[in-house]
Amino acid sequence: MSTAPATTAPAADGAPRAAARTRQRWTSTRTYINAGIIVLWCLVPFYWMVLTAFRDVGYTFDQSFWPTHVTLDNFVTAFSTDLGNHFGRSLFNSFFIGICTTAIGLLFGVFAAYALARLNFRFKFIVLGFILGASMFPGVAIVTPLFQLFTNIGWMGTYQALIIPDISFVLPLTVYTLTAFFREMPWELEEAARIDGCTQGQAFRKVIMPLAAPAVFTTAILAFISAWNEFLIASQLSSDATAPVTVAIASFAGAQPHQEPYTAVMAAGTIVTVPLVIMVLIFQRKIVAGLTAGGVK
Amino acid sequence: MSTMTETRQRRGATGTGPGEAELRRARRRDGWSRRLPLLPALIFTIVVTQLPFLLTIWYSLRSWNLLRPDGNIFVGLQNFIDIFSDSTFRVAALNSILITLGCVAVALVLGTVFAVLLDREFLGRGIVRTLLITPFLIMPVASSMLWSVSMLNPSYGMVNWVIGLVGIEPIDFTSSAPLLSVIIALVWQWTPFMMLLILAGLQAQAKDVLEAASLDGAGWWKTFTLVTLPQLRRYMELAVLLGSIYVVNTFDQIYLMTAGGPGTASANLPFYIYQRAFLGFDIGQAAAMGVIVVIATIIIATFALRLIFRSFDDKEQA
Repeated sequence: MSTAPATTAPAADGAPRAAARTRQRWTSTRTYINAGIIVLWCLVPFYWMVLTAFRDVGYTFDQSFWPTHVTLDNFVTAFSTDLGNHFGRSLFNSFFIGICTTAIGLLFGVFAAYALARLNFRFKFIVLGFILGASMFPGVAIVTPLFQLFTNIGWMGTYQALIIPDISFVLPLTVYTLTAFFREMPWELEEAARIDGCTQGQAFRKVIMPLAAPAVFTTAILAFISAWNEFLIASQLSSDATAPVTVAIASFAGAQPHQEPYTAVMAAGTIVTVPLVIMVLIFQRKIVAGLTAGGVK
Repeated sequence: MSTMTETRQRRGATGTGPGEAELRRARRRDGWSRRLPLLPALIFTIVVTQLPFLLTIWYSLRSWNLLRPDGNIFVGLQNFIDIFSDSTFRVAALNSILITLGCVAVALVLGTVFAVLLDREFLGRGIVRTLLITPFLIMPVASSMLWSVSMLNPSYGMVNWVIGLVGIEPIDFTSSAPLLSVIIALVWQWTPFMMLLILAGLQAQAKDVLEAASLDGAGWWKTFTLVTLPQLRRYMELAVLLGSIYVVNTFDQIYLMTAGGPGTASANLPFYIYQRAFLGFDIGQAAAMGVIVVIATIIIATFALRLIFRSFDDKEQA
């Protein structure tokens, strides 16, 4: 709780010690004030959105920092299909696309990361560099050819037309994060298993996979979030039936935002963001580990 | 099928005796079995990102407008010449640079400040850190709306409510200051990313150096600027490079907050490419601009990758 290490407390008595204690208390108070400012910076935009989402549509312009005219109507409006919105369906689509993308991305990613972290071969760094480079590749440069290609083979508006590009965006992330994690694992255990008579495949399945499970889980969360957030490709390659939630929300907001039902848009926004905030809070340690493993380790 | 040490020994013993050819063949087979687990990911990445990009290059050399049925002929570099004489392209390129520089610079400073504030023990530190990263993980589509509607809207956006409290007339941010609005939303999203990288850097720094500095009587500010900042340099470089690569390709915020407007005042390159391809149906020019964006990205990415590999190498030796 205190910011100074306990060992530095001086053995002297009287005034200096009291002064030191005051200073320490001040430092600790300042830490909490700083933390408070950071929390405000992150949460106030969410708070305002949630506030609007629960406010009666007739009082949209009622500005107050506290909840007024609380109602659930906006959520009903967001899910209603009368206005040509498909919010409920798009939520399902996003989950479906996200889960397929994560599963396939992880399957390929685990093998690739195992090879990169564990096995020695030439051109390893070139391969890693290439996969990393692909994550930096601008989606806008390939969306037109994909559009043409999927139109030609009749895939426009299908799930695979959304899942396949998503996998290619998720793969660099899974490969890189898993490679960083796999480098830290106790591989002696694998050798021990091999000496005890396992084949390399068995050693991988029975010894390494259970140990790697937390890393895989973290990577899965990040991959899912990344697929869940994708907009550019989906906005061009999806149909009403397969549109993920990003596209649905964007068409809520529309080209003429001044005629849109703000409160319903905010309700939709609340539905897609608040669960994520809660999920991040639950898995915070894992997510931070995953993000920094990919970035700097 | 052998362990690493065995391979190294075998590699050391090349060029001896009669069984050499056979040995080499075995080694090659071995090498391929090592690469095998990589192939699915590699092939997939190539097929989905690189083949379409080759098509983009091909398109960029053709005059192809879907509105002109007689089109689609090979024109060499004509599209590239047209682009550079297109004033909207120059505006979009400039906007891309302004947005990237503005966002990365502000996010880096804020991220460093937050990282320094969080680099000490206090109750609830984990929760604060988690809340801080949520803007980074949240759907960009939702955060664009959050900013354009909930924060910056002239009628009931919170920023206008706050400045209204001190008697300032509401400002229609997204139409009177579109670039600024986009940058604000991007800074909110990217500050956590910078913070995480720099926090990792702060926690990696040697504590004895800090102690030595404080024994030598250096104050907090002196220690920070003379000891901590130089040590953070590599982390900051990486944060700036990775941040730039992703921010250059911003599309969602522009599309949803300003739609590139008013006019094309706030269009960046990805948005302008989208407009040319899907609203103007000019596949050739859009593809040529795509090629330019990719080249710009590759230039920044080369530096970023070099940095990442340097840290990988350090680990390898350690």
